[in-house]
Amino acid sequence: MSGTPLAVPHDQWQDDEECVVMWLYEDGDAVAEGTVVCELAVAKVDIELPSPAAGVLRILVPEETPVRKGDVIAVIEDGRTS
Amino acid sequence: MTPSARELVWMYRTMVRSRCYEETLAGVYLEGKRPVFNMAAGPIPGEMHLSNGQEPCAVGVCAHLRADDAVTATHRPHHIAIAKGVDLNAMTAEILGRRAGLSGGRGGHMHLFDHRVNFSCSGIIGQGMGPAVGAALARRMRGEDAVAVSFIGEGAANQGAFHEALNLAAVWRAPVVFVIEDNAYGISVPKTDATAVPENHVRAAGYGMPGHRVTGNDPVAVYEIAGEAIARARAGAGPSLIEIETWRLEGHFIGDAEGYRPEGEVAALRARDPIPRLRETLLAKGVLTADEEEKLVAEERRTVEEAFAYARAAALPDPEEAFEHVFAEGVRA
Amino acid sequence: MTVTTTMRKLTIAKAMAEAIAGEMRRDGSVLVLGEDIGRLGGVFGNTRGLLEEFGPERVRDTPISETAFMGAAVGLATSGMRPVVELMFVDFFGVCMDAIYNLAAKNCYFSGGASPVPMVLMTSVGGGYGDAGQHSQCLYGTFAHLPGMKVVVPSNAYDAKGLMVAAIRDENPVVFMFHKALQGMGWLGTVKRSITDVPEEPYTVPFGEAKTVRAGRDVTIVGLGASVHTALDAAETLAAEGVEAEVVDLRSLVPLDRAAVVESVRRTGRLVVVDDDYHSYGVSGEIIASVAEAGHGLLRAAPRRVAHPDVPVPFSPPMEHHLLPDAAKVAAAVRATLGEA
Repeated sequence: MSGTPLAVPHDQWQDDEECVVMWLYEDGDAVAEGTVVCELAVAKVDIELPSPAAGVLRILVPEETPVRKGDVIAVIEDGRTS
Repeated sequence: MTPSARELVWMYRTMVRSRCYEETLAGVYLEGKRPVFNMAAGPIPGEMHLSNGQEPCAVGVCAHLRADDAVTATHRPHHIAIAKGVDLNAMTAEILGRRAGLSGGRGGHMHLFDHRVNFSCSGIIGQGMGPAVGAALARRMRGEDAVAVSFIGEGAANQGAFHEALNLAAVWRAPVVFVIEDNAYGISVPKTDATAVPENHVRAAGYGMPGHRVTGNDPVAVYEIAGEAIARARAGAGPSLIEIETWRLEGHFIGDAEGYRPEGEVAALRARDPIPRLRETLLAKGVLTADEEEKLVAEERRTVEEAFAYARAAALPDPEEAFEHVFAEGVRA
Repeated sequence: MTVTTTMRKLTIAKAMAEAIAGEMRRDGSVLVLGEDIGRLGGVFGNTRGLLEEFGPERVRDTPISETAFMGAAVGLATSGMRPVVELMFVDFFGVCMDAIYNLAAKNCYFSGGASPVPMVLMTSVGGGYGDAGQHSQCLYGTFAHLPGMKVVVPSNAYDAKGLMVAAIRDENPVVFMFHKALQGMGWLGTVKRSITDVPEEPYTVPFGEAKTVRAGRDVTIVGLGASVHTALDAAETLAAEGVEAEVVDLRSLVPLDRAAVVESVRRTGRLVVVDDDYHSYGVSGEIIASVAEAGHGLLRAAPRRVAHPDVPVPFSPPMEHHLLPDAAKVAAAVRATLGEA
């Protein structure tokens, strides 16, 4: 599918840390650029992930799934970055 | 008042047991809590406050205590309970919420009661101090030379209960010793941000009792100062305050990200871990040989493993047992 | 010309922080104090970002001295400031209740209105995750019972922000009780329904106004905070059985919207109250008594309450969950009211 990917950011974890996802929106919801769409719970710290673009949220990774930095966990369809 | 070789070995053994216990407990606590850290999940739900690093406070004081001496402790109680001689199997069963637990699963890790060794703890900061004063008074009224000890954190020294309990203990000349485990943090707030004086032992003077500070998280130094204070109390000379510089090697609770601690602080404290330091002392002094030490550690590991195995195998309470012991039965004849 | 409102989904924790931040920007007399509310952003996430934006003069991490800082809040409030003070767990009220119920709640009265106390006391309530008897209580009844303080209990992020803004602007002491299970902190479990769209700009939710969150004709289920969600879960189960339950979210205990409950029961004839607090001498009894007082014959069946029994909250999960209200117990209570013709 086309759109802007939402990936687990690179700069906040050690190499071997797991993290999981809590989605604040549902698959198919319209979201604005900059809106916080999910929280990554890394054992002890909550990281907020804002949407990189405006569009429709397509969730690729369900909640309570371990993910690694760089994993694309969602795509914002029809994304426009301005 | 220096510890004998036997007492040194007891202190070392008890610190090893306590640390092994907390490390094992952390593993059990985290079962079911990965990948999502949901506090309600797993064999031990709720909060968990570990005492890793604070063992010297427990052993240095409890080395002088008998079963009939009363101890009140806090939300971070395990090292003290172990040093006081609380039944390890029943304590572990309680922490795992089993019927065979100290309170049949009603209290959990913050509310451990073992009347056989007069140990209790609870979760509201500073509120164990008044009960320790009463326990001390009761013993004196019955003509016993038993004492009470109240363990608190340095954060509790800013609670009203602290000031009232110290004053009352002095006014009543109660045989109680107040022990502050100063680990420098009240959850995320450092002592320097919360306390008007740099060291709490000076507050004892405001309440007409001696106050001492023990530095370096050293169980032998704690032993020496605590011995004097407890002897004072037994002899009828009244209460004392002891402040012990100690360190908290883990978070306030399991799951605490500890973002409020400066980079490298915990690593530096681990390098000064009191348990390997006492080990080196005992080996150097010939109190223990390397073989004996190894055997001791293996024994303690086994004791801890057995306690957890016992607890895991123990039955959960029947839900209807929740209604029992709200009130005590009967009247005093 | 239409104005588009920016909506984003927020957790209750974030909604509370946003409400406080907005009021602090608007009104320089608002300050926040409490344990771990500064650097940590609050143990329950409700003050995140405040220290960074407003600095330590207005966002104060306190020592563990509830008696002193609760009293200080009263003094600040009567001296022209508007403190938002956190009592970390409602269970800690024991050490500082005098400042709350004898000072904050009574100064306006004793002074003939000359010395009102505009302060917000926000406090976490509730259990269900194994924190045992001194960290799991709700105590709604305890605070609602004592005259002179307003008491609000949000069940979702939209109400949380609106009630907090209203609380800060109110000239009276407001006890804002937030249930830990609804905060949206992953480590306490998440109730998705409490995460709602929240407008970016400030707004208020009025006190003393309950909300019908689910319309129905067969029974009225009254809840507050977490028990609203318990009621809605039960309503879903009951709908599959052909029973349509009306769920009323009280939102506000003082003032209490008795009229809304009575109006609903007038239509349904059946009442179940879901209260996470202790059974006796509390909210559930107050609601039932209010309906009974409203008139003979409103109820076609005996009212029921699903509340925590008069027992300290036990630690062990089989016991704790046996005592807690849950959807199955609520559905059973509803069926019991229908069993009577």
